[in-house]
Amino acid sequence: MLGRFDYQRPSTLPEAGRLLAGNDGPAAVLAGGTDLLVDIRGRRHDPRILVDIKRIDALRRLDVDSAGALTIGAAVPLNEIIERAAIRRTLPGLVQAAESIATYQLRNRATAVGNLCNASPAADMAPILLALGADLMAWSPHGERTMPLSSLFVGVKKTCLAADEIATELRILAPEPGLRSGFLKQQRLRGHDLAVSSAAGTYAPSTGVLRLAVGSCAPTPLLLEPIEVGRSSKAVVEEKAVRAVQAAMRPISDTRASADYRRAVLPVLVKRLVADLLAEGGAP
Amino acid sequence: MTRELRVVGTSVLRDDAIDKVTGAARYTTDLAFPGMLHAAILTSPHASARIVHVDLEAARAVPGVRAVLAGSDLDVRLGLYLRDKRILARDVVRYQGEPVAAVAADTLDAAREACRRIRVEYDELPAVFDPRDAMAADAPLVHPDLASYDHMRGVFFPKPGTNVAHHQKIRKGDVRASLAAADVRIEASFYNPPVQHVPMETHASIAQALPESRVEIWTSSQSPYTVRHLLSACLGLPHAAIRVHVPYVGGGFGGKAGLGLEPLATVLSRAAGGRPVLVTATREQEFNTTPSRQGLHSTIKIGATRDGRITALEATYVWDAGAYADYGVNVGRAAAYSGAGPYAIDHCSIDSYVVYTNKVYGTAYRGFGHLEVLWGIERAMDQMARKLGLDPAEFRRRNLLKEGATTITGELFTAGHGKPVECLDAVAKAIDWGRPSGAPSAPHKVRGKGIAMLHKAPAMPTYTSCAAVIKLDEDGAADVLVSGVDYGQGTYTVLRQIAAEELGLPIGKVHLTWDCDTALTPYDWQTVASRFSYMGGNAVIEAAADCLRQLTAVAAQALGVAPETIVCQDEVAFPAAEPDRAISYKDLALGYTFPNGNAIGGPIIGHGRFIATGLTHLDPETGQGRPAQFWTYGAHAVEIEVDTETGEIEILHIATAVDAGKVLNPLSCTGQVIGGVVQGLGSTLLEGFQFDDKGRLLNPSFVDYKIPTAKDLPRRMTPIFLENPQSGGPYGARGVAEHPMISVPSAIGNALADALGIDYTVLPLSPERVLLGIQKREKTP
Amino acid sequence: MVNGHMETASVPSGLTLLEFLRDRLYLTGTKEGCGIGECGACTVLLDEKPVTACLVLAVEADGCTVETVEGEAADGQLSVLQRAFVETGAVQCGFCTPGMIMSARGLLRRDPNPSDNEIVEAMAGNLCRCTGYAAILEAVRLAAVAVAAQRAAGPLTGETVGSQPAAETLMGETGTERRRFLRGAESTRKDGRR
Ligand code: FES
Ligand code: FES
Repeated sequence: MLGRFDYQRPSTLPEAGRLLAGNDGPAAVLAGGTDLLVDIRGRRHDPRILVDIKRIDALRRLDVDSAGALTIGAAVPLNEIIERAAIRRTLPGLVQAAESIATYQLRNRATAVGNLCNASPAADMAPILLALGADLMAWSPHGERTMPLSSLFVGVKKTCLAADEIATELRILAPEPGLRSGFLKQQRLRGHDLAVSSAAGTYAPSTGVLRLAVGSCAPTPLLLEPIEVGRSSKAVVEEKAVRAVQAAMRPISDTRASADYRRAVLPVLVKRLVADLLAEGGAP
Repeated sequence: MTRELRVVGTSVLRDDAIDKVTGAARYTTDLAFPGMLHAAILTSPHASARIVHVDLEAARAVPGVRAVLAGSDLDVRLGLYLRDKRILARDVVRYQGEPVAAVAADTLDAAREACRRIRVEYDELPAVFDPRDAMAADAPLVHPDLASYDHMRGVFFPKPGTNVAHHQKIRKGDVRASLAAADVRIEASFYNPPVQHVPMETHASIAQALPESRVEIWTSSQSPYTVRHLLSACLGLPHAAIRVHVPYVGGGFGGKAGLGLEPLATVLSRAAGGRPVLVTATREQEFNTTPSRQGLHSTIKIGATRDGRITALEATYVWDAGAYADYGVNVGRAAAYSGAGPYAIDHCSIDSYVVYTNKVYGTAYRGFGHLEVLWGIERAMDQMARKLGLDPAEFRRRNLLKEGATTITGELFTAGHGKPVECLDAVAKAIDWGRPSGAPSAPHKVRGKGIAMLHKAPAMPTYTSCAAVIKLDEDGAADVLVSGVDYGQGTYTVLRQIAAEELGLPIGKVHLTWDCDTALTPYDWQTVASRFSYMGGNAVIEAAADCLRQLTAVAAQALGVAPETIVCQDEVAFPAAEPDRAISYKDLALGYTFPNGNAIGGPIIGHGRFIATGLTHLDPETGQGRPAQFWTYGAHAVEIEVDTETGEIEILHIATAVDAGKVLNPLSCTGQVIGGVVQGLGSTLLEGFQFDDKGRLLNPSFVDYKIPTAKDLPRRMTPIFLENPQSGGPYGARGVAEHPMISVPSAIGNALADALGIDYTVLPLSPERVLLGIQKREKTP
Repeated sequence: MVNGHMETASVPSGLTLLEFLRDRLYLTGTKEGCGIGECGACTVLLDEKPVTACLVLAVEADGCTVETVEGEAADGQLSVLQRAFVETGAVQCGFCTPGMIMSARGLLRRDPNPSDNEIVEAMAGNLCRCTGYAAILEAVRLAAVAVAAQRAAGPLTGETVGSQPAAETLMGETGTERRRFLRGAESTRKDGRR
């Protein structure tokens, strides 16, 4: 047994809200469970009640509208995102990030929203969603709010969500025409691994704006200031991007890698990513 | 020998695979007995501490708890070669992760809950983590009572008053003078971190205490008889009081040799009034509590003539035994007598120290110290070749053992040993050695090639023996009984093939019982050291001959002819001149019945045995002697591509040649090579324990201890088998199970030096280590 | 539904699907290798999708279909996939095998003709310490090809593998497909014998 807790499977948000607000001790939202159940097993987390949100229809939405705007419900497993042809076409960077997470089996459970709410500095979905300017919707009995994803992360494993608040969905505006996106991750091996460092970015040729975000190099994933590419040469942009990352990162040493390695490899990822994004005829 | 072989040498499929693909195969944790209890283990948070007080009361109060034990309840010492270990820590803890107390309860949850309620008061003691520090005169002693420990005398030499559990010396010729006189000298130091075996099935044992101190055990072990023998010694019981079963085992690689959780399960079952108790290591405990592979610091000096002949080799090996060295001492011994590589060297001096530290302890692991020492030796050989301006393959070719040479322990190398040179040539050819690599796949990548030799002999007592029994069934089929364990390596299929070959039976009529049972299956020392096909194979050949003798005798009597005239083949026995008078095995297997009802003979049961012969203890001062029943030689050659910006290494091609003597089953030998190479890649690129400054293991889980996955395979792997027959081996075969793993790191390290011009000396060659090495070189002008 | 049987049970919330299968239904084919989703030994199909049963609560599977390795062989006959594992030497100690079979089953169900990359991706969540994976990948490829051939040419002859000497039915039919993941073993034989 993983632990002693009550399990509830509400079918509406208000019901879920009531359960979370109940007085039976700490509650936790259960989506894919691939982080939560591991934490419970390791006794790093000891909730009294798990509120399974996977049967709340509203949270199972995965919609791409005709303009390409994307809504990802909190109960949508990563594999659904990966397998959706429209997303593969318009946002390859998002798919690459999702594919880099864990294993096929786990991606049938793990969700994008869950990955974010776990608030690990190494969360692989964070950099690309930050670069895409995603908004996160949160629901609580007191109302609903929309926040830019960047405001979700307040520290290592800490979010700004209140105890009775449920992250419900991600919204990504329709990408600019021809938007390119990409994600690169450094791992210890090719098989499943947490990120040693990661970088994601988008480039819109129509506006000339390059947006970059990086992971595993500070207490939270970092969104960098957008870079106006204008007429600058690729080398100049790469240089600019690398300098921006070097200024922003505050890597630590842990069992996965030393700060020195992170400091060395993240600029390489950023440089390669920028080169890919700016390449003529690069990924859309 | 010109006999045509029908079955031996073909890719007979494993019959156990049927049980395994259907889920029918039962491993220890799949067994359940009425009333079986589940155990949980409380481990030490400290690397070195005095146990001041253990309070078990709260644990006993947990509903469902049937037994709670701490070390103070148990005054026995365990060990194979050196009895230095406790079932549960007593008075002191010597590594973080050491079992301190244990609970058996109706459910695992209750047992775990009870464990959490045990209060242990510790008083931290000074600790030592680096074995080189542990050799200093003023180092804290991990075992102050070493003098009082029982050990295998004449073979191992613990040094009381120090942390040295064993010092193995090899002395041949005059190394000092020859080094001084050498035209060219190199000296280099290397390091291997401790690593884990990572069998997919963690350790698990069930014990049921019976009346009169008897006990019955089911366990995930490589060595049922060794478990019985050691338990009998430590619990003071006659052997017959202990019955050990081994069901299917989910991998071992050496980690399940010796004693595991059996003693703990036994004492818990006793304390619980004889209820069966299952103890299973969690994956975290598999990393942190059960034994690992020892770390190694090596320093190697080589002297050579200008024309590339090695004249002298001096090596110091300092093994990080961890807190217990009961098995590790033998690794230090075996690696010493193999510690100069497969080369003919006239002047050699090796000191191999097995040193206690306050870390999780070491044991046998596939390759038994050879991967570690050859990481140094084979890297050093390349450095020497470079210094001499010689091609590394050519340099090796000049120095490899050839007929008439002597090994560093004075053993004469004969044709029956196999041909290391052919292994070298085969792998060199496979990767187009000598021709430059193709263009790298990107501008920031570089390619390189590397080559490395390997060798190993079984490390076992001089008197190691085993036996096999074959009984014939009512239908003339044969059942083979042995007590070596097939924990995945495929030996049982090979033994079935041998029995089928010798008895003239179709393979489908030869069965091998998967459950080893010390009460029923005949003796075998241990299933380690790649010696099971060799020794077990010989025993099966003898058992089959015994069956044939019995079949022949009964057939001769039945037919009224002389036994010498009887031929046994194709499941019938007949007089050579009168094939039409054949009697089928079926009609002989339980005894022959004449038409009038009279019967003769009786059930046919053959037995065969094998004992190592001609082995001697090594001289304590010089290490001279004959340690090995046989040697297996081999080589790897690799081509790699390195990303100079991230430090990642991709293996483009790895070719592995092993002189198998005779490939008994190509499919399973290939499986051993591929599996061994990939396991070796783990040691090369990924694996290594990390400890904090208090000696706590930082990566005891699959999250941070990574082993290769299906995505991490080389682009190409080429297994190559040579068949230079082994004298005394069944059909000329020698063991090949461990060897493919050995020297994988060395070959890749050599390729890395070729690609980058940097000599890496520390494993693993992680992207981080490789990249930081490149950066360091760029900074140093 | 577990392997086609309706199972009704009342279980504590903290019980994992893995524990439920092993301890309550005695389906011990599914193994535990880590308990934290990292090794894949506990892979089962939940509503036809491979998941790690150690990270699914039994209660979460309420109303779902679950398939385990025990459901793979129909009527005592090994499936083509199982036979491919036996024949390629994809099984050594066998502890990873049930999870491997279920990952492969999930893959072949969603894509009967997967590319080599898809095979690797689908199988990379299952750790194996013995085989070095090459034979396993080969087995999955072989099973896909054999099933396709079977569809085209009617049922395979129901030859059983096992104690028969190398019943190379699958490999025989698809000999060219074998060795995609593993270049063959070369053998230098000194004595001219086979
Ligand atoms: S036991 Fe479930 S993934 Fe390892
Ligand atoms: S066969 Fe042993 S772990 Fe895969």
